[in-house]
Amino acid sequence: MRIRTRSFGVAVLAGAVLAAVSWGALAAPSLEGFWAVKFEQKRSGQPLIDELPKAAVLINDTGAGELAAGDFGGLKLKPAAIEQVRNYNYKDELKRENTCNAPSVAFFMQAPFPMEIYQGTELIVFKMEYFDLVRVIFLDGRPHPPKSAPHTRAGHSVGHWEGDTLVVDTTHISPGTFMNNGFNHSDALHLVERFRVSKDGKTLWLTQQYDDPEVFDGLAARYMAWTHRPGEFVYPYDCDPSYGN
Amino acid sequence: MGNRRIRRLARGAAIVWVSLAALLAVGTAAAHHSFAVHFVGDKLIKVSGVVDEFSFHNPHGLLVLTTKKDGAEQVWRIETNSPNILRRRGWDETSIKHGDQVTVEGYPARDGSNSMRVYRVIYPDGHELVGQRPDPGVVSGAD
Repeated sequence: MRIRTRSFGVAVLAGAVLAAVSWGALAAPSLEGFWAVKFEQKRSGQPLIDELPKAAVLINDTGAGELAAGDFGGLKLKPAAIEQVRNYNYKDELKRENTCNAPSVAFFMQAPFPMEIYQGTELIVFKMEYFDLVRVIFLDGRPHPPKSAPHTRAGHSVGHWEGDTLVVDTTHISPGTFMNNGFNHSDALHLVERFRVSKDGKTLWLTQQYDDPEVFDGLAARYMAWTHRPGEFVYPYDCDPSYGN
Repeated sequence: MGNRRIRRLARGAAIVWVSLAALLAVGTAAAHHSFAVHFVGDKLIKVSGVVDEFSFHNPHGLLVLTTKKDGAEQVWRIETNSPNILRRRGWDETSIKHGDQVTVEGYPARDGSNSMRVYRVIYPDGHELVGQRPDPGVVSGAD
């Protein structure tokens, strides 16, 4: 009798675990589809912004916005970064060899171009229009690769669901522009992102939170929003370097 | 020289090397160019002339225009915002043709050269192609 009770208990527990796993997979909100940048006068995703650490500096240069030369959005740069910006030659950006030098995930997510998202239970793929870039986010519980692994523009991303929010942790990001005004991040950049879809499924919000102790103090953050447009597709970018001088 | 001093010097050299390496790592990166750094966003200018060349490839389309000022010819290099963005507004590779007589309104280059980012291309019959719209809060008279 005692054995039968224990077996029943184990079966109930196993069932509950299976149900929880299935529910977790089924309950994950859908990010699938074509998303176009939403140009907002008032930030509709304020609740997600409110969840950022209070000390994070929110950089206001997303979508069509840009910071001017010498404006770092309130971030305190490290001496080495100040020196790097001082030596930066903006004319180099117009050279043919730099024309198609794509930015990293620290900057390409905020560009005013659409994206397509393909969502599975173990990975999510972002097909960005900007520079034809692609991101893969692993949801299968794998860790980041060793420190010595190659760094890339998209970096290495692992994610998990916290309720209705997809939390993504990205490392191994190759150095690139951080503010499009000569201020670059290093290869030590660590990125934490939170994606959330509105209840009606029409808006996708994102906050990016960065720390890069080699180039700035504390934490920085950005906020972005997109509108769902079913039936549309990203266009090829096919960057042509001949535009450059 | 004592062992402690040698260790201190070695540690100092290592710190300098690591800082220099970090600086070099971030200093070599270059980016797709910024609008705000290269163009004046709160000012619009107009030039009229004949189209010599029009290319429509990312990251920027390019319009080369020959104008006349005080009888002398000037060549203007005028870039558009991304053709992908413009394609969704109805532009394509054939929107502007060699020999077209046009007036271009746009944002002047900060370095004072004969170049600008296009706001709109206006044809003699009044129809126009809109590129990068002015920020209504910044440029007076913006649409």
